Amino acid sequence: MTAKKLTIGAPDGLHARPAGELAKLVKSFPGTQVTISTAVRTVNASSILSIISLALKKGTEVEIKAVGPDEDKALTEVTRFLESL
Amino acid sequence: MKGTLAIGKAWILHRGGETGQPSERTLDEAFEYETSRLSAFIQDSPSPEVFSAHLEILEDPLLRDSIQRNVSEGLTPSESVKAAEEEISAIFNETGDEYFKSRVDDLRDVCRGLVEYLDGVPDNSFENLPKDAVVVAPELFPSDMAEMDLGTVKALVTRKGSPTSHVAIIARGRGIPFVSGIDIDGINTGDLLLVDTGKAEVKVNPSEIEERAFRSRMAEDKGIPEGMIQAIRKHGVKILGNAGSVKDVEEAIRSGAEGIGLFRTEFLFLCRDKLPSEEEQFSIYKETVEACQGRPLTIRTMDIGGDKPAPGLDLPKEDNPFLGMRGIRLSLNMPEIFKEQIRAILRASAHGKIRMMLPMVTRLEELVQTKALVEECKASLRSSGSLFDSDMEIGVMIETPAAALISDRLAAEAGFFSIGTNDLTQYVMAADRGNSSVSNLCNPLDKAVIRTVKMVVDAAKKEKIPVGVCGEAASDPEVANVLCDLGIDSLSLGSPTLIKELSLH
Repeated sequence: MTAKKLTIGAPDGLHARPAGELAKLVKSFPGTQVTISTAVRTVNASSILSIISLALKKGTEVEIKAVGPDEDKALTEVTRFLESL
Repeated sequence: MKGTLAIGKAWILHRGGETGQPSERTLDEAFEYETSRLSAFIQDSPSPEVFSAHLEILEDPLLRDSIQRNVSEGLTPSESVKAAEEEISAIFNETGDEYFKSRVDDLRDVCRGLVEYLDGVPDNSFENLPKDAVVVAPELFPSDMAEMDLGTVKALVTRKGSPTSHVAIIARGRGIPFVSGIDIDGINTGDLLLVDTGKAEVKVNPSEIEERAFRSRMAEDKGIPEGMIQAIRKHGVKILGNAGSVKDVEEAIRSGAEGIGLFRTEFLFLCRDKLPSEEEQFSIYKETVEACQGRPLTIRTMDIGGDKPAPGLDLPKEDNPFLGMRGIRLSLNMPEIFKEQIRAILRASAHGKIRMMLPMVTRLEELVQTKALVEECKASLRSSGSLFDSDMEIGVMIETPAAALISDRLAAEAGFFSIGTNDLTQYVMAADRGNSSVSNLCNPLDKAVIRTVKMVVDAAKKEKIPVGVCGEAASDPEVANVLCDLGIDSLSLGSPTLIKELSLH
């Protein structure tokens, strides 16, 4: 398992479209489980609805965890995606 | 706020879903049907990304799991979808955030598609929608927008809805007036409606006088194309102001500009016999940055050339001033005068956020040399005990093809880019916009110019520096839309009216 903490920097938070892109990105690593955790909850990052339900706003701290064959690549790409928003 | 006006006959949308009979259709078939329906929208829609999000929701494990659980608890497929929709909407609503709550609409649209298929009763459909109608419905969904012929719809009126919903965004993008929160019970198909989005009002069957007054208001009210506002919002583009005097700065800031993207300093040098002293420049820059009230001020160093009379500099006349000694070339050619300007700018940076911008850059060395001069000035200010912002950003204007072609190298050294669309277009197209026989070539939307701009934006993104546009072309909605799509971070505009209109949104 690998994990990384980061802070959401997107000015509008993580809304539907980027959440969709994130879910798609995660699904491109079949067999690797990626989760996003806030202080309150942990959700499956391949579910756009779950991601949206976190209501991630600018400044929210999250922890990304990846477990599976592509965990390092998945973690790097998910982190890069979230930081690019 | 200036709204958009529309006039047309009402057409009430009737949905069938509620009266359906239980059918033999399975959930798997419903998902297959809805997937192909949404995929078709994605191909045809002007906003395909909206329906991509729909498709994601449809394929979402959370939705599937929730429906499956309800089926295993004994509900019919249709009931299970509705129950899952309720459960997930509840989670969304708990977030308490208006933006996320309005995304519930997307979920409901997807679930409605599934339920309608399962119940076997699609709604009365937009096939019967007459031309030039005002569509009236309790609520509209993004897939409705894909089904109706938006080219002929005059306006949309709903009881429920929010300005941040996808429906509102699509409507804005297509320039279709959309009003929600209207009591639609008193409206019948065929009624004449006057729709005023600014007041969020709909007048049903107006008198002849009311109608005539409304039509003359429509004629006056051109407004800003909604597409421009949408592009600016979608990409989070900042609206800045262009200014050539302290008064311009005050007006731009009062109109809502998030800063000044271009402060021209030529007025200090042109049409006067003596050059301004460092002290005089400092006091003007200080006054200017204070007028910005904490917002960033981008000061362009003198952009003077042989075509502009600057008696204090005694410049030789040139045959071809646009290809001559001007902008940063001239400044570096007279470093003592340039250093006075740099020191004045640095000293003013102690009084507010200032960025320094270099005009007419063609070579990396020009930026490197200027940065060395700035360091020299900082050292002399330090020794004299003057205050300044030691992290003041130095950026370059991209207005020559040379600068665009080396924008990757410049981006590594510069704090920001600002694209001067007017000069860039003239230099890329090798055409003088003042010469009517070739002025048609001076088109900022020409493929060659767009490619150049894209190259610059990509170079800036790669080095993570901001890239804005400060040319007048940015005021043209069509050009602004393209620039926003290319990924620019800010538009700097000359018109306070335009700044006001765009900042309001």
